[in-house]
This record gives sequence, structure tokens and C-alpha cells, in this order.
Amino acid sequence: MNNKTIHKIPLDQRDSKRTFTVVAAIFAMLIFSVVYLKISFIDMFMGLPSFVMFFFEKFFPPNAENLKQYIPSVVDTLGYAVISTYISTIIAFIFGILISENTNKFKTLRVITRGFVSILRNIPFIIWGALLVYIFGIGGIVGVLALILVTIGFLSKSYAESIDEISGDKLEALRANGSSYFQILFHGVIPQFVPAWINWTLFAFEINVRASAVLGLVGAGGIGVLIDTNINLFKYEEAFSIIAVIVMIILLTELVTNSIRKRFV
Amino acid sequence: MKPLLTIKNLVKVYGKDTRALNGISLDFYPGEFIVVIGPSGAGKSTFIRCINRLVDPSEGAIIFDGQHMEKLSWRKLRKERSKIGMIFQHYNLVGRTNVIKNVLHGQLSNVPLYKSLLGLYRYEDKKEAVELLKKVGLQDQIYKRADELSGGQMQRVGICRAILQRPKLLLADEPIASLDPLSANIVMQQLHTISQEKKLTCIVNLHQVDYAKKYATRIIGIKKGAVVFDGAPSRLTDAMIRDIYEGKESQLKLKGESGMQLAVGQNDE
Repeated sequence: MNNKTIHKIPLDQRDSKRTFTVVAAIFAMLIFSVVYLKISFIDMFMGLPSFVMFFFEKFFPPNAENLKQYIPSVVDTLGYAVISTYISTIIAFIFGILISENTNKFKTLRVITRGFVSILRNIPFIIWGALLVYIFGIGGIVGVLALILVTIGFLSKSYAESIDEISGDKLEALRANGSSYFQILFHGVIPQFVPAWINWTLFAFEINVRASAVLGLVGAGGIGVLIDTNINLFKYEEAFSIIAVIVMIILLTELVTNSIRKRFV
Repeated sequence: MKPLLTIKNLVKVYGKDTRALNGISLDFYPGEFIVVIGPSGAGKSTFIRCINRLVDPSEGAIIFDGQHMEKLSWRKLRKERSKIGMIFQHYNLVGRTNVIKNVLHGQLSNVPLYKSLLGLYRYEDKKEAVELLKKVGLQDQIYKRADELSGGQMQRVGICRAILQRPKLLLADEPIASLDPLSANIVMQQLHTISQEKKLTCIVNLHQVDYAKKYATRIIGIKKGAVVFDGAPSRLTDAMIRDIYEGKESQLKLKGESGMQLAVGQNDE
């Protein structure tokens, strides 16, 4: 074989035009968005120095005088996350069983539950919060409810996927020896589901801690309320130390959940 | 003698026109150790799963212990299933549950949910579970998680689970297909010994013809969903074996004697 034939061996079977079209289309989307929204990158860059100046002038040094007064809000925030994760994990577990083909043979019921759960999940929690504030007024219950609704949506789907992954083979043995539906569920499905259950629930807790810090911005209680009020009162230094506190909480939560994960999963 | 299990004109069609079973009629008598042989895709697995209706047959009758299995309601089917033990190729233990609990799963159908959840199995059942585990040489693994065991050990737990049902019929679907020759030999040996002791009727799917000849009291050859051989192992000639595996000779597994001698009589690993 001489060199010429080697050079003619293509490395790809696909049409290179198609790849080019896809890349061009993606790029066109960006151009369109920038032009349509009249985003000026020059303004953005020009604004950068004044943003940094503003940040350092107004937010520094962080005002930690009132640090002790934040403690109740921090506890509130964590409390919302705990309550909402707790309640959602129970409800989501039932939904998860109803959604998974492994544990629910009735297709209509599966589809209905799946649809309901996907509505819960696809409305962002901040919108749930804003909606619920109109119904219940400002306060803790709104935050908890908003978190519960979204977490049920998230966990049900994740639980159902994990239950689906438990192979039907393993359950076949229990089906073959005359065990009842609930015995198969409790003796076959749940033991195999435990690691995934711990994992997803801890993950949901992390998300909920973050989310409950933000919920205050729509008046739904927690530490977010403090940020909102302080910024509105131009007390930037104090707002900054609250933000620092939130970052600390989130980092600590991750630390704790990770160590729980390592120990139990 | 009255047959324990009668199968009449059993047909299973998957989808529109994949005929896995093409009209099988057989009688099984108490105490028989039946080995079903045939190439993969012949319908062995479908056949054995139709007996306890893990697969629903398309046509035909399955009369087990005087009951028409194919007509039973869900509740009655559960009751009949509890009289049929089953052993699987992939053991199908609950991996995160310990060995003795897996064995006690054999008694789930006789225990209400709350009792099984609290572990309140009858003392005799627990005692028998321990004895069975001792018999298969797993007395030291009783509280180990099932997924910590080797394949051969898992299958022995599977046997104990099936036996604890105190079944009238034992089904085994390729019980040694996933095992190394040594473990395969131990498992086959113990399956045979225990079922002889308990005077159980066994139907075992195998594709190792030499094991079939060694243990079976009766061999059934299945090819393309139909019975092509039914008789004593001594009547199974090499020509007959070639006919059963015609076109799929590569699956014919006649293991060398050396591997067998190594393991015979060893009950512990």
C-alpha cells in the first residue's frame, strides 16, 4: 500500500457539512440573543471597574457587630430545610413507588402521578414562594410549603428512577415463592433502595438549605429576609456579613452530608 | 402413580409470532429428578417459568397438585406458588439483606407482613433455616450480607431459601450456568442430595449434558419449543444429543472429568 491510498482513508463517515450546520446554528442563537436583547459587551466591561469599586467601597469592611442577632434566622433557615426535607421524603417515597414500573403495574396511575409530580417540580420554588405569599401572607409556613412542593417533585422522580434500577430479577424470587405485594416491597425493594434513598435525601437537604436562604427574598421567612431589609436600608456592610454567614452554613451542610454519605452508603 | 404436575399442549407466543413453546405435553411424577436440556433459545427457561406462571402461557393447561395453574386468581396463585420452590441462574438474593433473612424469605407467604417486618418468624422456621445453612456449609456466613458471598455460596443460599418453603416441587432455571466448574459441582451435588433427602420432585434446566446424565432420573430434550427426547439418561445416546443441539453444537458442554473429580464430595468452600 502506498502513501496515497492511506491519505484517502477518511476518519469519519459522517458528513462534515452537517457538523458545520449544527455549530453554525448554535452560534446563530447566541448572536440573535445578543442583538435582540441589545446586550453591549463593551458596557459590561466598562461597568466592571465601577462595580468592583462599589463593592469594595460599600460592602467592605463587613459589619459583624450584629452577628449574634442573626442566629435565630440561621436556625430558622436550617429548620425550614429540615422540616421540608422530612415531610417531602415521606410523601415522595409513596409517589416514587407509584411512579416506578417495578412497584406499580397500573399504567394510568403511573402516568397521572408522574404528571402531577412533574408540575410540582417544574414550577421554580421562588415562584411557588411568591404565589403562596399571596395565599398565606408573609411568614414561615410559606417557605416550608414552597420547599416541600418542589422537593416532592424532585425526590419523587429521583426515587422512582432508583427503584426502577433495582433489577426485576431480584424481585422475581419473591414473586415466585408467593410473597404478597407489600412483602416484596418491604423485603425486596426497600433494602436495595436504602443507599439511593440516603443519597437523594441528603442531596435534597443541601438544595433546601440553599433554597431556604433565598426564600426570604420573597418574604417567606429565614435569613434571606435580613439580606433584603439590609440592602433596602443601604446597610451594605451588614448585608455582606449575612451573605458570608449563608456561605458558611451551606459549606457546613455539605461537609456534614458528605461525611454522613461516606459512613452510611 | 398420580402425576404431581401435568402439562397439556403448552404454547407460549411472545409478541405476534415468536413461538417459544410449540405445544408441550408432559407428566411429572413425585420423586423424579428431571433435567431439561437443550440449546439456549430452545424454550427451556420459558417452559420452567410457565409452571409457576412467572411467564403466562398463551395456550394449554398446567395442572399442579390438582389445580389448574393457568386459571388461578392472583390470591390463589400466590398460595400455589408457595408450594413451588425456585432457584435462579442469577441467585436473585436481596443483596443488602443478610443470609439468614434471605433464607427466611422462603417462608414469607406463610407469615403476615407485620410479623415478617419485625422478624417474627416461627422458631421452627428459624431453626430449619440454620440447619439448612449448616448442611450446605454456610454456618459461618449466617449474618453476612448476601452480596458479600461468592457466586457458589449465593446459589447455596438460594437452595436453602427454596427448600425452606417446604415445597412439593422444586424448579431450577440454569442453577449452575454462572458458576465456575468447582462451585457448579458443589451446588449440583447439594441440590441433588437435599432434594433426595426431602423426597422432592425437581425440574432442573441445564445445558451441561454430563451433569444431566449424572444426576437425572429422567431427561427431557427441548428443541425449538418442542420435546424431542423424553426418557431415562441411559437412553440418551450421543446421536440424540447431537440432534438436540443440531446447529448449535458450540453450546454442547461436555466438561472434562478432571474438573469433576476435584470437587466431588467437597461441601465446604
